[in-house]
Amino acid sequence: MGAKLGSLPLPSFAWQAWRVWERNAIEWSKIYRTSVLLNFGEPFMNLLALGFGLGTYVTKLGDVPFAEFIGPGLLASTVMMSVAFDMSFSGFNRLHRDRTYDAMVTGPLNVPAIVGGEILWEATRGLLYAATFLLVLLALGLLRSWLAVFILPLAVPLAVVFAAPSIVVAAYARIEDHIFYYSTLVITPMFMFSGIFFPVDRLPALARDVIWFAPLYHAVNLMRALSLGRMYPGFWNDLLWLVVAAAVLLPWPVLVLRRVLDAD
Amino acid sequence: MESAVVAERLTKRYGQFEAVRGIDFEVRRGECFGFLGPNGAGKSSTMRMIYGRTGVSSGTLRVLGLDVAREVRRVKRMVGVVPQESNLDSGLTTFENLALFARYYGIGRQDAARRARRWLEFVGLADVARVRGDELSGGMQRRAVIARALLHDPGLVVLDEPTTGLDPAARHAIWQKLAELKAQGVTLVLTTHYMDEAQRLCDRLVVMDYGRILAEGRPDELRAQLVGDLAVEVPSAWFEAHLGAGDGRVTPLLRRRLRLGATLFLYPQEGLASRLVEVLNGLPAAPRFLARPTNLEDVFLVLTGRELAAEGPAEGLRTARSSDGG
Repeated sequence: MGAKLGSLPLPSFAWQAWRVWERNAIEWSKIYRTSVLLNFGEPFMNLLALGFGLGTYVTKLGDVPFAEFIGPGLLASTVMMSVAFDMSFSGFNRLHRDRTYDAMVTGPLNVPAIVGGEILWEATRGLLYAATFLLVLLALGLLRSWLAVFILPLAVPLAVVFAAPSIVVAAYARIEDHIFYYSTLVITPMFMFSGIFFPVDRLPALARDVIWFAPLYHAVNLMRALSLGRMYPGFWNDLLWLVVAAAVLLPWPVLVLRRVLDAD
Repeated sequence: MESAVVAERLTKRYGQFEAVRGIDFEVRRGECFGFLGPNGAGKSSTMRMIYGRTGVSSGTLRVLGLDVAREVRRVKRMVGVVPQESNLDSGLTTFENLALFARYYGIGRQDAARRARRWLEFVGLADVARVRGDELSGGMQRRAVIARALLHDPGLVVLDEPTTGLDPAARHAIWQKLAELKAQGVTLVLTTHYMDEAQRLCDRLVVMDYGRILAEGRPDELRAQLVGDLAVEVPSAWFEAHLGAGDGRVTPLLRRRLRLGATLFLYPQEGLASRLVEVLNGLPAAPRFLARPTNLEDVFLVLTGRELAAEGPAEGLRTARSSDGG
């Protein structure tokens, strides 16, 4: 019986990774309404409350109206949060609670395919959230330049930069509550201090040095520049930072999952 | 054709702990081969090596003609796995679980759907195809996992405790399906700590304890060799009070005896069971005692000196062994 299939070529890495992506797409197609609502509710309220509420008092930052200033930053943080929360909690469930990864590696998949598929999926989600948020900004008249379309491809490295460490967090979390350390100590501070609400060049040098390590900071710079149509000297440096960080972080979850799952 | 599984001096170490200690066994094509033993005996580690889920520490292991250490990916494609835990994807329906798993093997969408339907039908779950994995009963989840193990037409199916924790009806349903698979020519390797399961399903089996194989053979063969047809259970305190440790009247009638807590298990020589019962009844204050047919539980008892249900591998148990058999 086995000879028939056993003699077929083994599925390629790309095939395997897309099957993991397919698994997530099937699951997501059932719950996307709640998922979208939860992930969009908060940033959208921030935009309304801060941009149009607070924005009537803090009318301008430099020559930019406050809502236009924070809009692209909130887009970046929406991508960050949706990816970080989804990947860490889903990863935890798939690894520890449901043992989905275990079933996958017991079957024909291997760890790089699982990580590849998960990250492909988070990149897809990141793109989706960026596109939707971009439409909201457009509808509210908060985009100044057609260059804003380039925000979309930027959502991919941004998603990867947060998806990869989120898998690691999921792997090391012994209970689901441990993930809140990640959200409280990493994600929330990044949301506050990455220059979404105020320019960080006013901060002390030490603070700026620390913020330089935050991936979100570079993404906010890039997306704001594109949305306002204003290039700045460090644009290509920020882009390089984000892409290199994504590439460097990619193998990390593979190493960790291999150890945790005791699989190839 | 080469045997389905051939293991030579197969060893699995986790750090300092040796879970499987240099075992040899051979599973022939088309048979149902069992690994019997308590928890911690090394059965699951052996299974995980066979289906390529964990590496071989030393020794050799060939599965369906392939060296597992070298060709683990190909082995995985040819072996179906029912792991100890039913790990269905809880977010997906039963059908989606299977169709997607078939896709993992490189199977096209339509073929995957066809295979999922066929095997759901086979295990009798066609009616719950649209029910989510985590809403199935334990027995249904188990059957779904068995169906999932069959999607890619494996020549060998490895089942790690296929019926542990299920009610009798669910266990019978699974036994029936496994018998059907065997009739189709699929080689089955399973672990169990249920004697009735091993006796019913296995053509041959090994008894494992502390990472070693203690005995190997057909269930009836092992029973005949090690314990005979009949066992007599008496209270050990009463027996020792009247007969002491050895006695000229009883000892010659026995092939083996074994004390386990307050109970003494007596295994009479062939044809001498009624004589033994007579002698025991003739003793003063004879209590009600049990004379019953033997089963694999007795085989395990005389091999290890403890009950199968006992948890291993606690080293303390080893020193507490009380076998004085033979």
